[in-house]
Amino acid sequence: MMDRYTKLQLVGIYAALAVFLTFILLPFFEMFMASLRPLEHLFRSPYQFWSDDFSLQAYKDMWVTVPLLGRYIFNSIFIATSVTVITMVFVVPAAYAYARLEFPFKNMSLAIFLGVNMFTGAVLLIPLYRVLRTMGLLNTYWAMIVPGVAFLIPTGIWLLRSYLEKIPRELEEAAFVDGASRMYTLRRVVLPLAVPGLIVVSVAVFIGAYAQQFLFAITFNQTRELQPLPAGLFEFIGYQSVTWNEMMAAALVGVLPVMLIFLFLQKYLVAGLTAGAVKE
Amino acid sequence: MATLNLNAINKSFGSAKVLHDISLAIEDKEFVVFVGPSGCGKSTLLRIIAGLEESTSGSIVIGGDDVSDAAPVDRGISMVFQSYALYPHLSVYENIAFPLRVQKMEKEEMDARVKRAAGILQLTEKLDLKPGQLSGGQRQRVAIGRSIVRNPKIFLFDEPLSNLDAALRGDMRVELSQLHSQLDATMVYVTHDQVEAMTMADRIVVLNGGQVEQFGTPMELYHHPASKFVAGFIGQPNMNFVPANVLDTSGALTVELDGGHKMTLPVDTTGVSKGDMVEVGIRPEHVKLAEDGLDITVNVLERLGGVSITYGTIGNGTRFCASLSGDAPIQQGKNMRLSVAPEDCHVFQSNGQVLRRKSAPALVA
Ligand SMILES: Nc1ncnc2c1ncn2[C@@H]1O[C@H](COP(=O)(O)OP(=O)(O)OP(=O)(O)O)[C@@H](O)[C@H]1O
Ligand SMILES: [Mg+2]
Repeated sequence: MMDRYTKLQLVGIYAALAVFLTFILLPFFEMFMASLRPLEHLFRSPYQFWSDDFSLQAYKDMWVTVPLLGRYIFNSIFIATSVTVITMVFVVPAAYAYARLEFPFKNMSLAIFLGVNMFTGAVLLIPLYRVLRTMGLLNTYWAMIVPGVAFLIPTGIWLLRSYLEKIPRELEEAAFVDGASRMYTLRRVVLPLAVPGLIVVSVAVFIGAYAQQFLFAITFNQTRELQPLPAGLFEFIGYQSVTWNEMMAAALVGVLPVMLIFLFLQKYLVAGLTAGAVKE
Repeated sequence: MATLNLNAINKSFGSAKVLHDISLAIEDKEFVVFVGPSGCGKSTLLRIIAGLEESTSGSIVIGGDDVSDAAPVDRGISMVFQSYALYPHLSVYENIAFPLRVQKMEKEEMDARVKRAAGILQLTEKLDLKPGQLSGGQRQRVAIGRSIVRNPKIFLFDEPLSNLDAALRGDMRVELSQLHSQLDATMVYVTHDQVEAMTMADRIVVLNGGQVEQFGTPMELYHHPASKFVAGFIGQPNMNFVPANVLDTSGALTVELDGGHKMTLPVDTTGVSKGDMVEVGIRPEHVKLAEDGLDITVNVLERLGGVSITYGTIGNGTRFCASLSGDAPIQQGKNMRLSVAPEDCHVFQSNGQVLRRKSAPALVA
């Protein structure tokens, strides 16, 4: 049933939304404004909301100040994409197993996964450093990909499992009666139906990978060419001055791909997050 | 040959025993209906036959081969689910072709089979649509189509019509019966609707609490119910059960019904003695208005045109339903007298077992 709101309730709802959005979006807005200001303007007092010398100059200069900027942006996307792909390769069969199969220690192992999820990477940085050093992975892309995958698999399993559980069991039973193997059923029946769920989980993993790479990059990687953008942004902090406007410009450009993904996949995200919430 | 034999099937879920020692012998090309109240184990039994569920003990023999440990597809069965279980992302064509794709059948052969099934089920126009674009009855037909392309020996149906509205259910009932004669296959059909059972079945299995109450033709069940449960389940409106006191057991059974009316009933009296309490089963359609007989208070009167159904009480408040002619001269709230032929009565012992009727209508073969 459709809820109907009174005028007053609507005003309240929109007011609340406005406050919420302001909090969320204000930093982005300020980043954008800062990126337009000439550097000396940034420290001028009193604060000027707008002046005539605003320009997009920073978006040009940033490539010169930090010559590897393009490489950093590529690395960021490359690392996040690799993490997403590898994570999904592990998550899909695992989530299916948790959703459908019976095996010993099923609930316990699932609880352990959730437990691991509660640790942030930060707590485990030093042991991880030793592990990666032993394996000779420090200062390679793998140093940033492997821990990323490890920390995102539990989240992925939890998200996808609950999605897969909503696919009617009878569909799989019907396929089984018709002689289809588990793998065939997974490929031809379950995964096609789980596409919205797969997209939601992939996006969640991608965003997670994008966000956490900073920590792994500054700890496990010294090679400049392999740094992702969040670590690369440090180069805007020079010995004498910090080019804030260019840093903001670069950060915005770096966030752009994530925003685009969100825009394109929005309808799946909404559908996926609410799927099964209502009886159809 | 697709006979189906169940030998002493037991099934427990954990400590809950759901099926008790079920043994059935189903003939080739027979249409057998499992009927029973909700939760009596119909679906479980069907899923055991299908191979979706493993029985705790007992064996399943199809066409002479023990298939107890075989995968569903190797048993030569196919199943139609209550929810249809169509693949929403595949077209009607692909849904029907699914079992053949699994087998990696050649294209022409597959195409021919799918088209033939679609022809039988009047789905030829709909092959390119998705299940979501079909009506309930069409979806049901697609589910049936998927089950027939594989030419299975035995078809299993789990309440296939329960999601349809009453009118469509009537149509599909006829279609399914036609399909049965057309395909010449053994069919096992689960329902809790006794009308479906009576109209479609060659033989009916009445299940109650995981046990077979009776296995017989619809007319056997109607005229010779083995127990009070079967008697109450088969027939519409339901049979009336009037408590009675046994007065005499010599030759026939003489009883005094609740309300004081005395009757002598031609049943086998083995196992009952004078003074026992029994229940006399009287079908609503077997009573007539009369000068003398059962004294009924009519509480509700439903005039349906052709018949009038009355709901009332007899004696100490025992409910009694009667089906009388459309213009029967009776009124709501008034009393009426009904007579019933002694040979139309059923007698049940207190444990629910029937006393065999000596003079019952000859069985329709
Ligand atoms: N997987 C299961 N685990 C535990 N108990 C089960 C399971 N499946 C069925 N049961 C129990 O077995 C009994 C029989 O179930 P079943 O589904 O066979 O009933 P049914 O006769 O098909 O009923 P309905 O007409 O409602 O479909 C029920 O009491 C049910 O609770
Ligand atoms: Mg059922």
